Amino acid sequence: MKKGLIFIISAILLIGTLAGCSGEESVQAEKTKDGKVIVDFWSFWGSETRRPIIEKIIEDFNNSQDEVFVKHTYLPWGDIWTKNLASVAAGNPADVIINDINSVAQRAENAQSEDLSKYIDESFKNQFYPHLWETVMYGDKPYAVPFNTDTRLLFYNKDAFKEAGLDPEKPPATWAELEEYAAKLDIKDGDRYERVGFYPLWGSIGAASWMTSADGGKGFIQDGELYINTPKKQEALQWLLGWKERLGEKTVQSFEAEFGSEQSNPFIAGKVAMWVDIGTFYTQIRDYGEDMNFGVAPIPAFEKGSGNWSDGGGFVAEIPKGAKHPEEAMKFIKYLTGPEAQKYWAMKNYDNVANKEAAEAVVNELKGDDKYVYEASVKNLDQTQLFPVPVKYPDYQNRINPHIDSVLLGKTKPEKALAKAEKDVEKLKRK
Amino acid sequence: MKSYDTTIARRGAGLAEKKEKTSRRRMSRQTRENIFGYLFISPWIIGFLGLTLGPLLFSLFASFTDYNITSRMNFIGLDNFKRMFTIDDLFKTSLWNTLYYVLFSVPLTTAGAIFLSVLLNQKVRGMKFFRTLYYLPAILSGVAVYFLWMQLLSPSTGLVNTFLAWIGIEGPAWLFDPEWTKPALLLMKMWSVGGGMLLYLASLQGVSASLYEAADLDGAGVMQKFFYITLPMISPIIFFDVLTSTIGAFQIFQEAYVMTENGSGGPGNSLLFYNLHMWNNAFEVFDMGYASAMAWLLFIVVMVLTIINMKLGKKWVHYEGGDNK
Amino acid sequence: MRTAAAPKFYETKKFKDNLKQTIIFIVLLAGSVLVLSPLWWMISTSLKSPAEIAQYPPTFVPKEFHFSNYVEAWKTAPFTRWAMNTFFIALCGMAGSVLVNSLVAYAFAKIRFKGRNALFIVVLSTMLIPGFVTMVPQYILFSKLGWVNTYLPLIVPAFLGSAFFIFLLRQFMMSIPNELIEAAVLDGANHLQIWWHIMLPLTKPALITVAIFSFNGAWNDLLGPLLYINDESLYTLQIGLQTFKGTVQTQWHYLMAMSVMVLLPVVLLFFFFQKHFIEGSNIASGTKG
Repeated sequence: MKKGLIFIISAILLIGTLAGCSGEESVQAEKTKDGKVIVDFWSFWGSETRRPIIEKIIEDFNNSQDEVFVKHTYLPWGDIWTKNLASVAAGNPADVIINDINSVAQRAENAQSEDLSKYIDESFKNQFYPHLWETVMYGDKPYAVPFNTDTRLLFYNKDAFKEAGLDPEKPPATWAELEEYAAKLDIKDGDRYERVGFYPLWGSIGAASWMTSADGGKGFIQDGELYINTPKKQEALQWLLGWKERLGEKTVQSFEAEFGSEQSNPFIAGKVAMWVDIGTFYTQIRDYGEDMNFGVAPIPAFEKGSGNWSDGGGFVAEIPKGAKHPEEAMKFIKYLTGPEAQKYWAMKNYDNVANKEAAEAVVNELKGDDKYVYEASVKNLDQTQLFPVPVKYPDYQNRINPHIDSVLLGKTKPEKALAKAEKDVEKLKRK
Repeated sequence: MKSYDTTIARRGAGLAEKKEKTSRRRMSRQTRENIFGYLFISPWIIGFLGLTLGPLLFSLFASFTDYNITSRMNFIGLDNFKRMFTIDDLFKTSLWNTLYYVLFSVPLTTAGAIFLSVLLNQKVRGMKFFRTLYYLPAILSGVAVYFLWMQLLSPSTGLVNTFLAWIGIEGPAWLFDPEWTKPALLLMKMWSVGGGMLLYLASLQGVSASLYEAADLDGAGVMQKFFYITLPMISPIIFFDVLTSTIGAFQIFQEAYVMTENGSGGPGNSLLFYNLHMWNNAFEVFDMGYASAMAWLLFIVVMVLTIINMKLGKKWVHYEGGDNK
Repeated sequence: MRTAAAPKFYETKKFKDNLKQTIIFIVLLAGSVLVLSPLWWMISTSLKSPAEIAQYPPTFVPKEFHFSNYVEAWKTAPFTRWAMNTFFIALCGMAGSVLVNSLVAYAFAKIRFKGRNALFIVVLSTMLIPGFVTMVPQYILFSKLGWVNTYLPLIVPAFLGSAFFIFLLRQFMMSIPNELIEAAVLDGANHLQIWWHIMLPLTKPALITVAIFSFNGAWNDLLGPLLYINDESLYTLQIGLQTFKGTVQTQWHYLMAMSVMVLLPVVLLFFFFQKHFIEGSNIASGTKG
């Protein structure tokens, strides 16, 4: 009966397991049948949109030479790096992995990646945007190669501008103009907002970016020094609070909840007139926007001449420490970050790629709105900063954010909050 | 039952004879019990010694070091523990968040599961479907569920607030309001209370109908039957549920990791649970030594609570099998 | 002579029973609406087109029913293979869990061996350590054994007992009268026979619970397969679900459709096991020793 069934099933499965698993045990083959070295490549690009593109790049590379065969494995975002860490610790990592650019130095410091200097020459770095190359350096040696990056632009609704009596070809250039325009772009129905002109914390931007921009582009931690409680940053925080108070907590939260779910975007729906986001946001406008009449501009500067600072992120290709085939891995990385593959990636994905030559080629090849936005994003890279994880204060953001939250909830004043934040961060300085 | 008594009595007499004979044999009953006992638990012992003990001891040792998983492991004594209590403010926050969750979720889910299982144990039409229905949330797991709930909890268009609006309540901003984030998680947990229901259903099967019949004859009401028959008879499972729910609640992590941006712990650190803070220290900052120290501290806390629970358990748990000592 | 008044219809036992049943039915029905609505949301999303999902405010019922989402989602990756893999792992886990944990639990419940109580505390205490602190050393251990990229790290532990199930089954077993055991001992049965002939039948509902829980656990496990499997052909359904989550945009319709499909086997398992579960034996009335 049932017990017998359980017993039999377990017996069969036990035998099947031992048999099946020893058969399945495809111990990572080192070489293919025709003597090519197999390079294990891990990425998180598994979706329908990204996967075919990386697969094509890999296929092209594999067909173009006889020594290396790249094998691609998809791993879910986030978990991929946990697995990477475990495998580095166990001594059996991948040969190439795509990782985050802002933590390259941190990983290098913890001996999680290989030093690449012996595989490249002096001129290699010239292919890439300087601010990206800086970020992959640790102790004068590169530990990764930049692959792609991003930058933030102000998207604005030209039709809304016209309605509000603003010139659609003159987007706001300073914070003061931003406030002025936003007020004109608001549409209220009694107490309810039908459309919000702008809210600085919506989109792909946070309080930290505005505070940095106000402070001449100086981040919270620069060269190991703390610049958290500065007068300009306090002013910026106060400015942000002003927006919240003007719109009201309820409005902010009710709008916020909608796009938190990633399923609909208020800018595209016409509910918000100006919106900060990365260049690829344009693809959503293109696909769901139904011929929306929009424009892009650099993020307004704190005051005239203080710089249209934007934050940037991105990804790199790196070789985990202890990889079995670093030389062959590097061959692939060079191809992956070379002009041909980068151009293909950019054309298909609309990403900002790290290779300058590729980016220029893409700008030349695109047309219409595609070109308009891409060109703007490439130009914006000049004012884009990356903020690598400071090695002495790796978890500093955790300590600052709650204080910023507290200010925005109206519970603390900016001066007090930032002073406390600076003290908290100091406390956790690592030796 | 009567037949057993006489059988045992008769056998008892025979047993006395057997005992004399037994003591002359080399293996005493106790030794045989020992052998069988260890034989039966040998899989667990193998697993424990082979797969668990090593890593456990390793992590214990790591808690006294600056282990970063990949490149260093220097002994630093009690520095990690000192850090927890003096330097790391988020430690206290995370501990408080977790305690809050434990204090509310354990009673709520236990009571809910018992209530639900009693309800689902009735002979009402369509019971099979109802049981499956209520059990469904418990097997829905993974990231999709969390995303689902993030939508359901959205302040203006989410289902939760829509339902509340129908009965005239203006719902809070749930995951965006630091005061309401933990209640939001409690709500989510209550939704999947069907998992515990399964346990109690199984346990209720073992409660003999004759007990209820006898109570009916004595004129007992519904409440009395519940409190004097049902509860005591399922108390071993209640004990199990409370204990394991407590242990599980102390380890809440996945929800907060997925539902807060980058696993940061939500608005104002309101969802920064102990395990999440530990995770961040292990895999964002690579201070695995500190994370291990946090893990072992939690171990001690929960161990103490478990022992207290077990001692208290002796008072109210009733084992029908007769081992109530 | 006292004439008992004829009972009014609302005083009869039949009426009271019917009333009780109706009330319970209504309560359960109301509750199920609450319980089902998140699931409805999931199914509804799975039937929408991406454009409709991106709409704001969201619609409750899809405008058009895209049943093709299910087929398309399945085709985006080798889900058939992955489903078979996951079945294999989950069935093994289920078999091992039921078999081994019932043995171990029986010992802790009914065999009086030396050191039993102390060892049981150790068993319990293994539940207290958060998994990921031992994750890395365990990974290194399995790596040294050469078990990485096989299913062994996922299946073998099921055959080595789990504290949660041991504890659970032990509680159930302790509810079984010792007299039954003693009677069997007097009849000359050894513990293995007692376990097989007495314990297992009497704890059927509990065993089924363990079977369901362990199947679910293995079926829904993401971190285990992710950590230990390197070959995509050996992946499981949970890893497959992640492919719909992009870094910029998530394919909600496919994600929800696949989630519904991944849910089905577990639901069916539960639904059919219910029969054995509820008609499972009643302790006092069943056995005759």
